[in-house]
Amino acid sequence: MVITPPGADDRPTVHLDPIPATVRHDVVRGGPHRGPKLLADEFFLLAHDDRSGRPRLHDAATNYGVAAALLGELAAAGSISFDRGRLWVLDHRPPQDWLQHRVLARLVAEPQHTATRTWLAFLAETVPEQVAERLWQAGKVAPQQRRRRLLRTSVVYVPTDTNVAAWSWARLSTHLREYKHLQPFDLALMGIATSCGLDQFILDGAGPSVFANLRRQLQAAPQPMRELLADLDTAIGSAVLSHRT
Amino acid sequence: MSSSPPDVSAVLARGRLGTWAVVFFVIAAAAPLTVVAGGATTGYAVTGVRGIPVAYLLVAAVLALFSVGYVAMSRRIVNAGAFYTYITRGLGRPAGVGAAFVAVVGYNAMQIGLYGGFGSVLAGFLADRGMQVPWWLCAYAAWAIVAVLGVLRIDLNGKVLAVMLIAEVVVALVYDAVMVTHPADGGVTVDTLSPSHLLAAGIGAALVTAITGFVGFEGTVVFSEETKDPRRTVPRATYLAVAITGLLYGASAWAMSVATGPDKIVDAATADGTDLMFNLVSPHLGSELVTIGRLLFITSLFAALLSFHHTVARYLFALGRERVLPAALGRTSRRTGAPKTGSIIQSTLAALVLAGYVLAGADPIMHLFFWVTVTGGLGVLILMTVTSLAVVVFFARTPNDDGLWRTRLAPGLATLALGAILVVTVEQFDTLLGVPTTSPLRWWIPASYGITATVGLAFALLLRTLRPDVYQAIGLGAQSATAPLRTPEPVHQAAR
Repeated sequence: MVITPPGADDRPTVHLDPIPATVRHDVVRGGPHRGPKLLADEFFLLAHDDRSGRPRLHDAATNYGVAAALLGELAAAGSISFDRGRLWVLDHRPPQDWLQHRVLARLVAEPQHTATRTWLAFLAETVPEQVAERLWQAGKVAPQQRRRRLLRTSVVYVPTDTNVAAWSWARLSTHLREYKHLQPFDLALMGIATSCGLDQFILDGAGPSVFANLRRQLQAAPQPMRELLADLDTAIGSAVLSHRT
Repeated sequence: MSSSPPDVSAVLARGRLGTWAVVFFVIAAAAPLTVVAGGATTGYAVTGVRGIPVAYLLVAAVLALFSVGYVAMSRRIVNAGAFYTYITRGLGRPAGVGAAFVAVVGYNAMQIGLYGGFGSVLAGFLADRGMQVPWWLCAYAAWAIVAVLGVLRIDLNGKVLAVMLIAEVVVALVYDAVMVTHPADGGVTVDTLSPSHLLAAGIGAALVTAITGFVGFEGTVVFSEETKDPRRTVPRATYLAVAITGLLYGASAWAMSVATGPDKIVDAATADGTDLMFNLVSPHLGSELVTIGRLLFITSLFAALLSFHHTVARYLFALGRERVLPAALGRTSRRTGAPKTGSIIQSTLAALVLAGYVLAGADPIMHLFFWVTVTGGLGVLILMTVTSLAVVVFFARTPNDDGLWRTRLAPGLATLALGAILVVTVEQFDTLLGVPTTSPLRWWIPASYGITATVGLAFALLLRTLRPDVYQAIGLGAQSATAPLRTPEPVHQAAR
């Protein structure tokens, strides 16, 4: 049940063999992390305070950002790709990660929905909680009940190690301020963060040339990544325009 | 998977808006009690025209006609900045930017003018209870709350709006019944509903006053993507909004003329101003019901203030997103997601205008509430006229199976009708303002829209030369990020 878009033949051939994690350039090693880093996990950590676990962003941005990051994970693994606002499944083989597996299964199960924005909206509703769970399983966060107004309680995922939680923020901030060329993983993470409005936070106080350099790098990003980011921008912009309480 | 979780369509359908939710949102912006107690009475007083009720009914009919093509287009183009997006798609990008600028000016005028109404009505309400507060202090209090709610992106809750709106409509209907059952000496007459008034002097002023009362109903299409079934929900909500408000306005304005006698309505409105309706019913009703009406008048003014504030902030956000205006406007507050810069700009502008009125010692009802909101109404009238034309041109160029009525006849007739209203309005702008025919204001206010539109047009042409990438994205609003990658789809297929 591959979603075959019109004009599928003119797209570049995508390499379907699973790439061993050791040579995958979407997996960044180093820093205080154990194990491979996952885009949605890193975005989730970036979007929440590294000590208290409180959100740094408004809900719509966090949810859409996490959704986009999860699609980004599948794209980086070669399972899916994006073109002209559509999302296609390229490889049905189940990914090892349970959450990626679950999302891919859903993409395959409902091929009638092809618009990237439809999937972003669906995943924004359903996956942020699951990404938090995945982080919990990896021991990077721990859930805590917080009492909010009146009787309502909410769960906050508090990072277990601030160094782990803040690592992406520190790395992105430093690399960009030093005008370094971002690796694909970091470029995707920073692109999603920028669409969600976290760029000003990550690059707080940086000069305009730093932002200009970031824009240039994002403009030169691979086409599928730019596609995903454009749809993320649109989704968040529309959420702002049609917001009602 | 044996126990399959809810499918994509089911998840996306959660929290989607039904017809009535959309109706409540848009009528809240139109603020029925504000129009009935404030707009109609001031309209009688300032224009001296007796035909206000028939003007409301005629305008409702014209707007229903306008809506036919408007909602047909909303099925093709889903975008939150409806008027200027449609104008861009129908008449080209320069016209679109011109329209966007006119919209920003017009909605700002609607919002800022309402402060005059709010300040004066609240001050009057407090004065009746022994508290002497100047109108501008009341206006600034509302301003401060709106400014804060604006940057926090807090809108009135849909349920609160629904309750308020139903209460407003019930109160207006009760008042109407009281006024009609207690007519002036001549008994119940339908004089003010006579179409003969449509040919009377000053009718242009009455018509644009009526149009001002409906502003806000055009917001239905903004909800397209949020509704359960955009193809049905949006048209139904639009027609319902026009019908409900039109009948209510017409009936209430008529009921007032019955209670005073048609020949005395203008004098009574001049003497009593926005108190007229309450004064007419208070001898026949318990004081609680009158107080409730007055309170609802104040809350409806506030709901309208907040609603138009958000409208302006979102317009500026959409233009910032497209980079037609500085990109900073297209950013949101990180924590609240509010279009912060646009919100602050609107609040600042409102504060400055209010300060100007205070310093000049101008009348809050006539010079601020009436003049400025009606100026806003004129802006929206211009936008609706041009939008109708854009609908005709768009469908003439786009293959469709929507039928002759929706794509040619209705929008064509709406263009002619709105155009005619526009011409008589501008011609009679002195009557509308209640100034001598020689007053330069009567030309300056309409001309300011001409200047604004020309600036927008020129700006778009400048962008075409200097920033072709920005020029390409004009009219795309939130979708502008996709412009460098693909031709945006005319229709966003909402998942069902």
